[in-house]
Amino acid sequence: MIFKSDLHIHTCLSPCGSLDMSPLDIVKIARDNGLNLIAISDHNSALNCPALKKVCEQYDDISCLFGIEVTSVEEVHNLTLFDDLEAVLDFGSFLYERLDTIPNNPEAFGDQVYVNEKNEIIGEVDKYLAGATSLSVEELLVEVHNRGGLFIPAHVDRASYSLTSQLGFIPDNPYDALEFSKFYYRDQAVGSNNQSVINSGDYPHITNSDSHYPDTVGMVYTEFDIEFPSINCIRDALKNGRFNICTPWHKKFA
Amino acid sequence: MRVSEVAAKTGIEIVTKSFNDIEVANGYTSDLLSDVMGFAEEESLLITIQAHKNTVAVASQLDLAGIVICNGRRIPEDMRLAAEQEGIAILQTEENQFVTSHKIYSAIRE
Repeated sequence: MIFKSDLHIHTCLSPCGSLDMSPLDIVKIARDNGLNLIAISDHNSALNCPALKKVCEQYDDISCLFGIEVTSVEEVHNLTLFDDLEAVLDFGSFLYERLDTIPNNPEAFGDQVYVNEKNEIIGEVDKYLAGATSLSVEELLVEVHNRGGLFIPAHVDRASYSLTSQLGFIPDNPYDALEFSKFYYRDQAVGSNNQSVINSGDYPHITNSDSHYPDTVGMVYTEFDIEFPSINCIRDALKNGRFNICTPWHKKFA
Repeated sequence: MRVSEVAAKTGIEIVTKSFNDIEVANGYTSDLLSDVMGFAEEESLLITIQAHKNTVAVASQLDLAGIVICNGRRIPEDMRLAAEQEGIAILQTEENQFVTSHKIYSAIRE
């Protein structure tokens, strides 16, 4: 079965995410846009994942995975994905202990609220979530694999917070894939792509919208040909090339 | 002035057991390794808070003289071992990058 998957979506929990991005609203938009697999992936926290699970359980035409976009000590953003709610929540607690202790200032950075499946705010996070953790990319990769998750360096083509921008190269590690941003494919579509991503050839390349606002959900996505929307099936599809990058947003540029 | 002489003159500690004690030609201060890759000159001391083994890979690629880790950031074991293998000195100081840059600039230029 083909799963149209946008696996990098921020919610109202991310300081940079819109308050309109509750799990309830994201699922509605994703279904309207024809996606049948989504993951939310806030900066260094999984606290909106329980609501996502409850919302998705109400529908039989969409499934969900649970993500965290983890900031390494090098300030590289990495998409990590799990299919077990307890596992992602435990990983989130582990990260929070290792996150820089900078109090969030909502007026400067934005609100960091988590909600239930009915869009009611149930809490607010104290530490600034978009700070860095104390773990290197390599340490995070081992931690995530030990916890049964996927580890995918995020938006590797971007000029900020990517492996390429922070390190200048892509160190050889067993990443499950590399994520390219919607801008990379837009630039390819208009023939202006002059961004070089060094040594990225040997890893599977996927794309996600990295949405912070409702209007970009599903703008780009990856199709996986999998039996079941699990981490194991996706890992297998990545290894065997049973996936396809879809960039509907770029048709208007081509 | 060699790496060991810069360390002695500035009072900054060397934490790698073995390293190539080469002449320090220059310094470069940055916490963005992609910027270091683009602009640092060979045989420079890199002044940074990026305490992880990828910094050693960059230093090795550019033939830097050494890496000076500021703000007392913890140096992971795999970083120290990689540096010893590559013969690159790691120095460590409690001071920040601004003060450290001044000390090293003064040592090698004056």
